Amino acid sequence: MDPRLERKRHLTRRHFFGRTAAGIGTAALGSLLANDLEAAPKGEASDRPYPGLPDLPHFAPKAKRVIWLFQSGGPSQLDLFDYKPGLDKLRGENLPESVRKGQRLTTMTSTQESFPMVDSIFKFKQHGQSGAWLSEVLPETAKVVDDIAIIRSMKTEAINHDPAVTYIQTGAQIAGRPSIGSWLSYGLGSESSDLPAFVVMVTQGGGGQPLYDRLWGSGFLPTEYQGVKFRSIGDPVLYLSDPEGFTRKSRRSYLDALGQLNQMKLDEFGDPEIATRISQYEMAFRMQSSVPDLTDLSTEPSRVFKLYGDDSKRPGTFAANCLLARRLAERGVRFIQLFHRGWDQHGRLPTDLPKRAKETDQGAAALIQDLKDRGMLDETLVIWGGEFGRTVYCQGRLTEDNYGRDHHPRCYSIWAAGGGIKPGMVHGETDDFSYNTVKDPVHIHDLQATILHCLGVDHTKLTFQYQGRHFRLTDVHGEVVKDILA
Amino acid sequence: MTPISFPKWTLFAMPCLLLCLVLTVTGLASAAESVTFNRDIRPILSDKCYACHGPDKGQRKTELRFDNEEGALVDLKAGGKAIVPGDAENSALYQRLVSGNEVLRMPPAYLGHDKLSDEQIELVRGWIEQGAKWEKHWAFIPPRRESEPAAADPAWAQVGFDNFILARLEKKGLKPSPEANRRALIRRVSLDVTGVPPTPAEVADFVNDTSANAYEKVVDRLLASPRYGERMAIRWLDAARYADTNGYQSDGYRHMWRWRDWVIDAFNDNKPFDEFTIEQIAGDLLPNPRRDQIIATGFNRNHRTSAEGGLVEEEFRVEYVADRVETTATVWLGLTVGCARCHDHKYDPLLQKEFYQLFAFFNHLPERGLVYNFGNEEPWIKAPTPEDESKLAALDKEQAAAEKAWGALDGKINKTQRSWEKWVQASGAPDWAPGDGLILHFPLDGSLREETGVYRRHVSHNPLKNPDPEPPPHPFVVVADEDDEEGDEVERQDQGLKLSFDKGPLGQAARFDGKTHVEGGPGFEFSFLDPFTFSAWIHPTSPNGAILSKTKLLSKEAGHGLYLRDGKVFLYINNRWTDISLRLYGDKPIEMNRWHHVAVTYDGGRKARGVHLYVNGEEQGKEIEWNDLIFPFGSEEPFRIGAGGGEPNFQGLIDDVRVYDRALPAEEAKLLPVLATVTEIARKRTSKRTTFEAHKLRGAFLDRAAPAEIETARKQLYDTRRARRLFHEGIPTVMVMMDSEEPRQAYILERGSYDAHGDKVYPGTPSILSSFKPEWPNNRLGLARWLVDRSNPLTARVTVNRLWQMFFGVGLVKTTENFGSQGEKPPHQDVLDWLAVDFMESGWDFKGIVKTIVTSATYRQSSKMTPELIELDPENRLYARGPRFRLPAETIRDQALAISGLLNEELGGPSVKPYQPEGLWAELTFNENGYVPDEGEDLYRRSLYTFWRRTVAPPSMVTFDSANRETCEVREVRTNTPLQALNLMNDVTYVEASRKLGERMMNEGGETPAERIAYGFELATARPPRSQETNVLRQAYGNFLDDFQTNPEGAEQMLGEGESELDESLNAVELASYSSVASLILNLDETISKE
Repeated sequence: MDPRLERKRHLTRRHFFGRTAAGIGTAALGSLLANDLEAAPKGEASDRPYPGLPDLPHFAPKAKRVIWLFQSGGPSQLDLFDYKPGLDKLRGENLPESVRKGQRLTTMTSTQESFPMVDSIFKFKQHGQSGAWLSEVLPETAKVVDDIAIIRSMKTEAINHDPAVTYIQTGAQIAGRPSIGSWLSYGLGSESSDLPAFVVMVTQGGGGQPLYDRLWGSGFLPTEYQGVKFRSIGDPVLYLSDPEGFTRKSRRSYLDALGQLNQMKLDEFGDPEIATRISQYEMAFRMQSSVPDLTDLSTEPSRVFKLYGDDSKRPGTFAANCLLARRLAERGVRFIQLFHRGWDQHGRLPTDLPKRAKETDQGAAALIQDLKDRGMLDETLVIWGGEFGRTVYCQGRLTEDNYGRDHHPRCYSIWAAGGGIKPGMVHGETDDFSYNTVKDPVHIHDLQATILHCLGVDHTKLTFQYQGRHFRLTDVHGEVVKDILA
Repeated sequence: MTPISFPKWTLFAMPCLLLCLVLTVTGLASAAESVTFNRDIRPILSDKCYACHGPDKGQRKTELRFDNEEGALVDLKAGGKAIVPGDAENSALYQRLVSGNEVLRMPPAYLGHDKLSDEQIELVRGWIEQGAKWEKHWAFIPPRRESEPAAADPAWAQVGFDNFILARLEKKGLKPSPEANRRALIRRVSLDVTGVPPTPAEVADFVNDTSANAYEKVVDRLLASPRYGERMAIRWLDAARYADTNGYQSDGYRHMWRWRDWVIDAFNDNKPFDEFTIEQIAGDLLPNPRRDQIIATGFNRNHRTSAEGGLVEEEFRVEYVADRVETTATVWLGLTVGCARCHDHKYDPLLQKEFYQLFAFFNHLPERGLVYNFGNEEPWIKAPTPEDESKLAALDKEQAAAEKAWGALDGKINKTQRSWEKWVQASGAPDWAPGDGLILHFPLDGSLREETGVYRRHVSHNPLKNPDPEPPPHPFVVVADEDDEEGDEVERQDQGLKLSFDKGPLGQAARFDGKTHVEGGPGFEFSFLDPFTFSAWIHPTSPNGAILSKTKLLSKEAGHGLYLRDGKVFLYINNRWTDISLRLYGDKPIEMNRWHHVAVTYDGGRKARGVHLYVNGEEQGKEIEWNDLIFPFGSEEPFRIGAGGGEPNFQGLIDDVRVYDRALPAEEAKLLPVLATVTEIARKRTSKRTTFEAHKLRGAFLDRAAPAEIETARKQLYDTRRARRLFHEGIPTVMVMMDSEEPRQAYILERGSYDAHGDKVYPGTPSILSSFKPEWPNNRLGLARWLVDRSNPLTARVTVNRLWQMFFGVGLVKTTENFGSQGEKPPHQDVLDWLAVDFMESGWDFKGIVKTIVTSATYRQSSKMTPELIELDPENRLYARGPRFRLPAETIRDQALAISGLLNEELGGPSVKPYQPEGLWAELTFNENGYVPDEGEDLYRRSLYTFWRRTVAPPSMVTFDSANRETCEVREVRTNTPLQALNLMNDVTYVEASRKLGERMMNEGGETPAERIAYGFELATARPPRSQETNVLRQAYGNFLDDFQTNPEGAEQMLGEGESELDESLNAVELASYSSVASLILNLDETISKE
């Protein structure tokens, strides 16, 4: 463990040891352990339950939080954002080797006899003042196009889902490192007194590529920094509800008795951990009301549901999760990540991709509009995008109305909006085949560095010593993409 | 009792606390004391300088390096030397550290580094002034047992190393704490050594035992308990990244529990740690290895593997080998060799080349990057349990008896058959072919009207799919294929039952003109684990065409197909054509325009070696095109003759198509083309019959005409063979290390990249460590011997350090995983080395070293803390008190089960699925059935048997900081979060345990609430509650009772949680109230801590 953190944890326990007598109560989830005394003289400790590391933020942040609408499976840039009008004339022609340049392929297409190029079956139009081209499957995104920055030159090295998602989430293709949300939770702490700093929600049903708890895991950082998955079935947070039949009144007297007994133990043994434990039980008690309050959408007016669409009334949909994301943002959660699956169109792209677009388009656009209406967009960085893009050439049989596309690492599109991002712009360019970037490539490490930058964090300085080495999210790479910053 | 008023001094104490931490715990000396290189200087140089002036030659800009003396004393280009012993002012090192010029200052500001602290600079200055003496890194010098210092209180020490602890305490002016009281002590040692709490009787025995060795007796009893092996195994499983699934993407199941049980047994049998090591690293390479020694090598097959379609094989294979290297090095050497995978190690003297020399030891497995997703990937062995072995022996015996009885009938069979033959010669008999397992048969004899496709039900082995109800009979059609090759579907023109026929080997044969095919109903439901046989007569006029198929008509998708391609017989069994497929050719083309019999058998084993191709009864050689059938599949398409799979339609004649749901053995497959009819064969003289004609005749006789005695014996033979085969198939397997005959060449991989081969490398161990003796074989066995050789400076230290961590919460070297220069220099190296030497000298006696630690005076101290001690030594690294910390995840649950009486103490066996919140698997994984909890006793097994799915790990284990089982993890960490509180209060596991504890309190605890509460409290904490504690609990009980009395349904609801039986004889409102008290007791800090 980082000695700085370790030291602080001891101090913190003292701190709570001390606070206990005066009444329990200001602890944040797990992360409160790292409550920092050095911040206390600045008078911040009482306002911010967990201020994070003492030297953070490194500079004034533009964004207070991140909402990442993760699109898992590899959405096809060619059918969503990266318009290639010339491709229709090349339809069916083999991708020239001069373009492919020895790019390694997945074994799903590496044995294919030919690589016939295919244009998008969807119509593209320009939208907004920025005049950005968008596919017809994103009509709602089109309405907020002047609020977002489209990056068309994303790139990665991974060619398969697991390594690629792991890469963009943790900075390494092989699992084991902390996720970006846990890095930020570790570095910046929480703004919320009764919710975790890092919350994850997964769209229910629909299938798609598997996800893994480690994608929001804390790797070698202490486990309290891992993402907490809010669920739409059962308890939103695991084990949140009291046993059936056990009343809140009983729970209160239970916790009072437990607190008294633990206090006696503390008095006798003097172990600061006991003081922390007492406060954690109180925190748990508060979460039992704050989380249901958060997930109870009944107080939202009907215009909100209209904005987010009918889906938003059904728990577990992407739209409902977008609405919850806004509520989490309002409550000071630092890093909110939504996962939507099913963008892996190796075949049947013309029928399947519009379904994914329909599931996500309105919720994402509504979130932008909603945050904007509430004056929160400026301080909230919103990202829409996945782990890689898709090939210009067809996987499987190319027919008049059917095609598929394989994974493609060399270029793909995402968008970013809000806190710190220049609205209404398009960044980066790809070649005529959307196969290589020709201008302003943005590696996923650059994206990671930029996200950290928007939150006031120098990605080269947020490190953690593990196995003798100072690790960081971006490893030894990453440049902040200055051009997209407001 | 005086309440301790911490608020008053907490804040003021901070600076002092920091200083004390630095000085006392990390052992940094003040400049006045003598500075030593290993303790004081190497940590600074390593952390601040080695990145550019260290072991990694790729990063060194100049010759100057501070990881060895030679490199530190080179002449600088600018003149002078970095270090002039005895003269700091003239040492460039010192000058650069203190330089006010940001460009000159080291470590450099332009790389974002801060200036060293004043204390650090002062230490460096002091070290140079005192002569700049170098030391080899402490961990690379073999441990030596220092003579034990004399302490002021010689009576205190129980074991040798206690003296070092006491001497250090005395030096600090501290006294050890008194011994913990007996109740605390037996609870502590029981939880530590067995992972379950003591029973009230065990506590009472110890409390009342006045003998001098009362405590030792307890320890001996615990070490002899089978629970000991389970407890030790848990942490070993963490280190070995043991799990029940593959990890990565689809995260399919694997079966490694036989290895896990080997570990438990090894600890319980007290297998010496050197043998324990050798067998796990290289048991397969021992001379005449026993099966258990091979099972042991499962250790290095526990790493994650990927079955993600599309992956680049070599990229992942390299990852597996690297994982073996890194895990082995972490577990035995405490070194972070993985840092040398892409470049020389930045801190430790480990070259990149040396990483790949270690890599070369583990590189020879016949393995690929893409693995089987539904079970164990090769190489694996059958690993029967002792019960399996005796069952198998019994089945062998039954089969042998049946074989013998059958053999004894030989004469009688011959005799009876001869008289049957006479009858056949005279009156003739219908022809015959093997009928067992025949599920489809199309004679194609001039009319399709009489033919039906489905003969009998076949149960699929598809692990993703239960057998569907039998499909309705499919209309039997002949289809003329349109010439539309572009469409996904062809226009079907039902030609009724018109098909042209011609003479075939067996009656008529159907003619195919390249535009038609026959659809024969739904056919079969074979997946990849289903054996089968396809057979047909063909008379091709074109060398390319589909003989039979069950897959898409025009594209290469999931399913089966038998084809001619360039005149060669071609079989595929396919999940996805591009990569998850089994495809092979016969090695010789067949002649066109004549009749051939083709048959192919597949044993359901996913591999090309399980396929046999026969042409006209001759087995063909095989040319393998693809051999990666790792996923199941199904096809809704009809069974087709003459078309399918996007191959050209057949041209020519096809006759007598057969599908069996078993792989016919060669003697049966070879008699299929026998054209002579039963009657014709019978009429031949015996000496004129061919072998397969004779087989055919015998088959016909046995099937049709054998008398009851023979038929019974034959049935007995088949039944016993089948029973034996099925049982053998069900015997558990375990993945093991087993090298290929051809070693695979290892290379340095530039930048660690799988496809960037640098120089060739061969097995070897790092040069900085002990030397590799010439008598050892240069393979894994040699590596294993090197690991446990007495000259190895690390293995014993690293191992006893992990044990220390298990008992004291923090290792003697805090960085359990890293003994390198970035790791902690142990404040008590004398204790570590004493234990390491003792461990080796005892013959690596594991129980012995555990006993030494837990019988030490150091361990037996009371764990009460004083404000002074917390201030001086918050982490208890001086050991002025006993250990107190929260129990590990597994122990918290196991203890709750034990206290409530639910614990099922069954040892070993397949992993089990206890309660888990619904939907956790279903919402993340591929579309598949979610987690289905077990029922009954399997819900209450110890936590080390809990099924561990890597991508969705058991939530309550993770919440309580268990290792993640993704990669090797040896450091124990503990957090303290509200999620833990919610888990313990509300998880059905604990709600149910509370109910059962409540029942115990009412049934066994006496009559009054106070007695019952005291009983429950004592079960959990091994001590009776004090009166204030009883009062609080009594009051809480009253509150619960009041609440449930107004809400009796609530009581019923709460008592309804959990599968275990409810004691209906108890009053529900009372029981619910006691259960609530029980839950409270299970949530006490004291209960979930050891103290």
